[in-house]
Amino acid sequence: MRVSLTTHGGLAAPINSRRPPRTLDTDRMPAATAGQLRRLVAAVLAEGGGGRPDRGRDAMTYTITIDDDGRAATVTGSDTSMSAAFGALLSLIERQTD
Amino acid sequence: MFNCITPPFILNKLLDSSDATIRGAAMDTLITTARLRGQREVRGLIAGALVSPAAGRRSVFDCANSTFLPFAKLMRSEDDGPVADKSVNQAFEGLGVTRAFYRDVFQRDSIDGHGMRLQGFVHRGRRYNNAFWDGQQMVFGDGDGKVFADFTGSLDVIAHELGHGVTEHTANLEYRFQPGALNESLSDVAGSMVKQWHLGQTADKADWLIGSDIFTPKIEADALRSMKAPGTAFNNDLFGEDPQPDHMDRYVELPDTDEGDNGGVHINSGIPNKAFYLVAIGIGGNSWEAPGHIWYESLRASTSTTNFQQFADTTFSKAGELYGASSPQQQAVRAAWDEVGIRVGSEPTLSRR
Ligand SMILES: [Zn+2]
Repeated sequence: MRVSLTTHGGLAAPINSRRPPRTLDTDRMPAATAGQLRRLVAAVLAEGGGGRPDRGRDAMTYTITIDDDGRAATVTGSDTSMSAAFGALLSLIERQTD
Repeated sequence: MFNCITPPFILNKLLDSSDATIRGAAMDTLITTARLRGQREVRGLIAGALVSPAAGRRSVFDCANSTFLPFAKLMRSEDDGPVADKSVNQAFEGLGVTRAFYRDVFQRDSIDGHGMRLQGFVHRGRRYNNAFWDGQQMVFGDGDGKVFADFTGSLDVIAHELGHGVTEHTANLEYRFQPGALNESLSDVAGSMVKQWHLGQTADKADWLIGSDIFTPKIEADALRSMKAPGTAFNNDLFGEDPQPDHMDRYVELPDTDEGDNGGVHINSGIPNKAFYLVAIGIGGNSWEAPGHIWYESLRASTSTTNFQQFADTTFSKAGELYGASSPQQQAVRAAWDEVGIRVGSEPTLSRR
C-alpha cells in the first residue's frame, strides 16, 4: 500500500502548495509501523471522508491518497475540521516522512 | 444554508446594536434556532456575544503539540505576569498590542466591537508551519525549525489573524475569489498598520513586509509577502518565486479548490495590498491615520461578496465623506487604485471573479 499526502492553504499557501508530496510505502517500512498505517487508513476510510472541509481563515487542508493494489481512494481534512482518526493518520505520515 | 427567517447578516448587525434589548433578542433568536447550532458562523457570534463584558481579556493556552484544542492548558490570563514559555508571552503581548491598536486608533472594543475574549493557542501540532483563525480563536504553530520559525514571533502575523476576526464580525467577506483575496489583504493591512503603529513608523519608513520574522535565518526569503512590491518577497530554489501580482493585468485566475487556494486568496491579495501601500505613501505620514480610517470604514461598509472594484469605489466615497470631495486624501485613493489597474467609479473592464 502506498500513501501520499499533499498540503495546501495556510498563511503561506503559495509556498505550501509547491512543496513535494510526502509518500509512504508499506513495503519499505518496519512491519509494526506498516500495520499501524493500515489500521489508521482503514479507520479513516470507514468514516467515509465526505465533502469539502470548512474554510477556516488561513487553515491548511490535507489530501491523503491511498493506493492499495490498484484500488485508490482520496480523503481530505483541514485544520479546523478533521476527525481524530484523520488527525492520527496525518501525524503518522508526517512523523514517518520527516 | 441557514434555515432561519432572519438572515444571519441581519442578526450579526443586531448583535452589534448598542441597545442591550436588541442584542438580547438577536441572541435569543440565534440560540433557540436549534438548526443553527454548531454552524461555524453562529458559534462565533454566540461566543462573541456571550463574553461581551470581558473587554477583550486575553487567555493563552499551550496545546503541547496536540492538534486538539480542547486538551490545551491555560498558561497565562489577563492579570498574570510573564511565564517561562516564550511563545506564550509573545502571543499574549501580540494580542495586547493589537487590541490596543483597535481601541486607540478605531475605538473598537476587541474583535467583535463588544469586548470579545481574545484566545491564543500556541505549540499547536508538531513542527506545524502555520497560524490560523478558526472563527473563535487564534492558533499558532512552532514551525519546523528548517524553513519556518515560531509563528508567535511575528507581530504582523498575530495582527493578521486577529484581523480575520474583525473582518468576520464586519463585512464577513467570503473566503474565495476576489472577496477572499480582499479578506486576505485586509488582514495584511491590519498586520502592517499594527506593526508600524507599535514601532511609531511613518509609511515611508516602514518595510511593508508580512511575516519577515517567520523564516529561519537559513532560508533565503525576505518575508511571506511584500505590500510595497508584491511578487518580490522571496525567490529561491526551495519554493520558487513569490507569485503575487501587483496589477490587474497580472491577476492570477485559479479555481476555487484547495489546490487553487480558494481562487488565489493569498495570491491576488497583492493587488489591494499594493493599493493600500500607494494610498499610505500618497497621503504621507502614518498609515493608520487617514489611510487606515478610509480602509476601516470601507470594511464596515462592505458585504460578504464585495469585489475589488466595489471596494475601490467604497474607499473613494469614504475618503470623500471623511476628508472632503477632491481632498488630497480622496485624490490619493483614486491614483492608487489607478496604478493597480482599477478605475474608481468605472464598470470593471474584466469579468474576473
Ligand atoms: Zn490570512
